[in-house]
Amino acid sequence: MQRIAVERGTYFDSVTLMLISREIGAMEGVEQVALNMATEANLRIMASAGFDLSGLELGESDLVIAVKGKEEVLDRAISRAKELLKSPPGRRSDSASYFPKSVDGALALLPGANLALISVAGQYAADVARACLDLGLNVMLYSDNVPLSAEVELKRIAGEKGLLVMGPDCGTAVIRGKGLGFANAYPLGPVGLVAAAGTGLQEVGVQMARRGVGLIHAIGTGGRDVKEEVGGSTFSMGVKLLLEDPEVEVLALVGKPPSPSVEGSILDLASSSGKPVVVGFVGGRRREDAFPLYFCSDLEEVAAVSSALAKGLDPNEAREELRSRREEVLRMAQARSRRGYLRGLFSGGTLCYEAQLLASSILGPIRSNAPLDKAYKLADSLRSEGHCMVDYGEDEFTQGRLHPMMDSSYRAQRLVVEAQDPEVSVILFDCVLGYGAHENPASQMAEAVQRARGICGDRVLFVSYVCGLEGDPQVASRQRRILEEAGVVLLESNAEAAIFAAACARG
Amino acid sequence: MEGARRLLREGPKVINVGVFEFFEELRAQGVEATHVDFKPPSASSDLLAKIRKLKGKV
Repeated sequence: MQRIAVERGTYFDSVTLMLISREIGAMEGVEQVALNMATEANLRIMASAGFDLSGLELGESDLVIAVKGKEEVLDRAISRAKELLKSPPGRRSDSASYFPKSVDGALALLPGANLALISVAGQYAADVARACLDLGLNVMLYSDNVPLSAEVELKRIAGEKGLLVMGPDCGTAVIRGKGLGFANAYPLGPVGLVAAAGTGLQEVGVQMARRGVGLIHAIGTGGRDVKEEVGGSTFSMGVKLLLEDPEVEVLALVGKPPSPSVEGSILDLASSSGKPVVVGFVGGRRREDAFPLYFCSDLEEVAAVSSALAKGLDPNEAREELRSRREEVLRMAQARSRRGYLRGLFSGGTLCYEAQLLASSILGPIRSNAPLDKAYKLADSLRSEGHCMVDYGEDEFTQGRLHPMMDSSYRAQRLVVEAQDPEVSVILFDCVLGYGAHENPASQMAEAVQRARGICGDRVLFVSYVCGLEGDPQVASRQRRILEEAGVVLLESNAEAAIFAAACARG
Repeated sequence: MEGARRLLREGPKVINVGVFEFFEELRAQGVEATHVDFKPPSASSDLLAKIRKLKGKV
């Protein structure tokens, strides 16, 4: 049974809606609950979760409360949700702090502020960012769904004022060792990063930390920055800033391949450097190293080479170690192989992209909602075909909804659905930790794995990688243990996990 | 690029607008930060902005 209620002309942020969903979901007799702003994407996701929304006339400023479960609890659940909307559960109840209603007000409270971290819904984000630039603040724009024309305009204004605009869709950055948005507890160190790839930045930072090397700054740009239309405006500024910074000894550049003209201007800038620059445009053309430039094919290689250079070691030895380790991973896969389809469910966009790149070299083309090649775009992101990998951080899944790093519940539901497909033999997923991320993402996914096992038994192999550090709020070793106890095979990097999963599915 | 250089030199002092958890994470790391209790502009002010645009006043 289901019950649907609609609150018209309202607005609630995604965190509030998630907290209320959790509370309603915990009521006895409630099987499924969804509280979402009625964007087209959310309505599709709710329909695919089995809610019947037919006959409802909905607009984007309407909130839909949908509950499934035993008949006798449904009305009570809806009433409780409405009560909680009037008095949202206490994120701030323990704090008597006053929070200003405007950026001007905040600047009066913190006159030395030098950065605005903006994560409001996409339709409001550009206006807020413009106001912050006018006040002389650098901007980190976490929000996605910001129009391209607004991004170009904001970056033009910032360039004139000598300010940084990181984003839109910039999920992570590190300034003087402090994480902004999603970031791990990296040690402070001599490497500087510029990244047009959020989880790419996280993965490089985590893999360097595993090798005992830290970060001082990591400037995020947002993925669109390196496209022709934006011209690499933030990326170029980031490179200039870190090249002139005496505390940065090694510079690493990370992202998907920029447009050719943007890549050309970035490499021209980097070539003039007196310090090593590690170039990791994942999926781009492989080139020979020529000091100061060191070219890498994947995120772990960027981390291995940057770490070696920071320690004064030979980067080619680091590459050789990586090669041997990957051969070992392929041998490990032989022992677990089972022919069938590989399905990947990712919270990190760059991790999904890198996994497609590495897995396709073993399995052939991989379909995705964010494919390497447009020819392999999924017709429907909610329906898998063949070998496929879905990025749940894409805009289509995050309108009026939390990023999957903050709430993996939809991804977890999908994992159970994928396990029911008799042609699937391996399911791969990431588990990204750090500041800003869900407090226990491994449990969300481990519960889904256990439910899936109840359906598919041992037919499907579950493979994952925990992108995180011991110092992260979730504690990497605890998260790993939760997944291992659920029978998930864990690898040491996103690249390894993709290679292992693909080799297992090849049979 | 002086404003950007100042950010890297001094470290972040942040005005957080939006997700409250990001503010809490900043404070947990010892970053000076404040939070803006953001509410989107009301439908009526959206409408006024559109009318102004139509009249060419923006």
